[in-house]
Amino acid sequence: MLLEIKRQERYSRAELLLRSVFGFLYIAIPHGLALMFVGIAAGVLQFLAFWSILFTGRYPESWFEFQVKYIRWNLRVSASLFNLVDGYPKFGLNAHHDSIQFEIPYPESISRSSVLLRFFFGWLYVMLPHGFILMLLAYAVLFVNFIAFWAILFTAEYPESMFEFQVRYLRWSQRVSCYISYLTHEYPPFSGSSDQQVTTT
Amino acid sequence: MSDQASLYHPLPQPDEIPVRDREDAMGAYLMMFAAVAVALPLPVINLIAAVIYYYVNRRKSRFIHFHSLQSLLSQLPTTFLNWGLLYWGLQVWLFHNTETDDLFWGYVGMVVVANILYFVFSLIAAVRARKGRMYYFLFFGKLSYDMVFSVNRSFRYAGEDDLKTLQNKPPF
Repeated sequence: MLLEIKRQERYSRAELLLRSVFGFLYIAIPHGLALMFVGIAAGVLQFLAFWSILFTGRYPESWFEFQVKYIRWNLRVSASLFNLVDGYPKFGLNAHHDSIQFEIPYPESISRSSVLLRFFFGWLYVMLPHGFILMLLAYAVLFVNFIAFWAILFTAEYPESMFEFQVRYLRWSQRVSCYISYLTHEYPPFSGSSDQQVTTT
Repeated sequence: MSDQASLYHPLPQPDEIPVRDREDAMGAYLMMFAAVAVALPLPVINLIAAVIYYYVNRRKSRFIHFHSLQSLLSQLPTTFLNWGLLYWGLQVWLFHNTETDDLFWGYVGMVVVANILYFVFSLIAAVRARKGRMYYFLFFGKLSYDMVFSVNRSFRYAGEDDLKTLQNKPPF
């Protein structure tokens, strides 16, 4: 899985203030409503994909693409609300943001036993350990987000280490989400490092 | 027979249909489980899912169009029957406006049988679609075939659109 967000050299202070004060009104609510309906469809397809994998050993390709597009839309909104990117996130499943890259290779075949294992025991060996750490990290993310807000306000730059921390959190949680929803068969590492960093260490 | 065949587009054969199209066709029949997926036992959920699935996928190919249309149309009778049972059941057990009688239990039996038949035939159709085969339901199969494969229906599919823009062009 590849998730990269490009750090801008300069951030708009006006946009930052607008997003922080009214972001819930003009970003979270409209996108949240649209994503809620798309999310229902994604949930239905995920449920049906489970059965499809169980009987055919394949995740239907167009359903897989739908899920990836849904995740991309979610990421656009999250990145915007986290102040990681400027600009209003685009609506729609086919929209793109130049600074956000998210790719998952389509698995031609998926192991049925692995899917069953995730279905019955996913909460135990995926959700519990990763969820616990991610929950603790979520507090740190909120704190870093608050500090970063002031840093951008005064310097118009997102401190690189803070930016990387936020992206790593998003990457980690996305890896867990993709694994538990059968989009990938690789068990998520206990880290938010990018794929290149994971393979070199 | 040949006159009849000329009124319809040729049927795609299993080896001509990509796996992706077969999976999309199969998915149309799986929409009957949508209510289970959202944990809302309302008869209309499956129908909404089937309608959305039909409109999203119908332009992909004739094969997908046929199966998603057949799946959608065949859901209508069971949906109406289930709504009838829900309404009648609420009148009996929740509002106490009427009591159970032989007619009510007869209706319950009919609805159960209709749902079981729908479930079984939809699963067979899903398996056949996954194999790239056609499968015709009683009445709805012929109707869907006529609506999708008839040469009189001018419906453009994704690949055909590309072909049209590449080949014949207007003189201006």
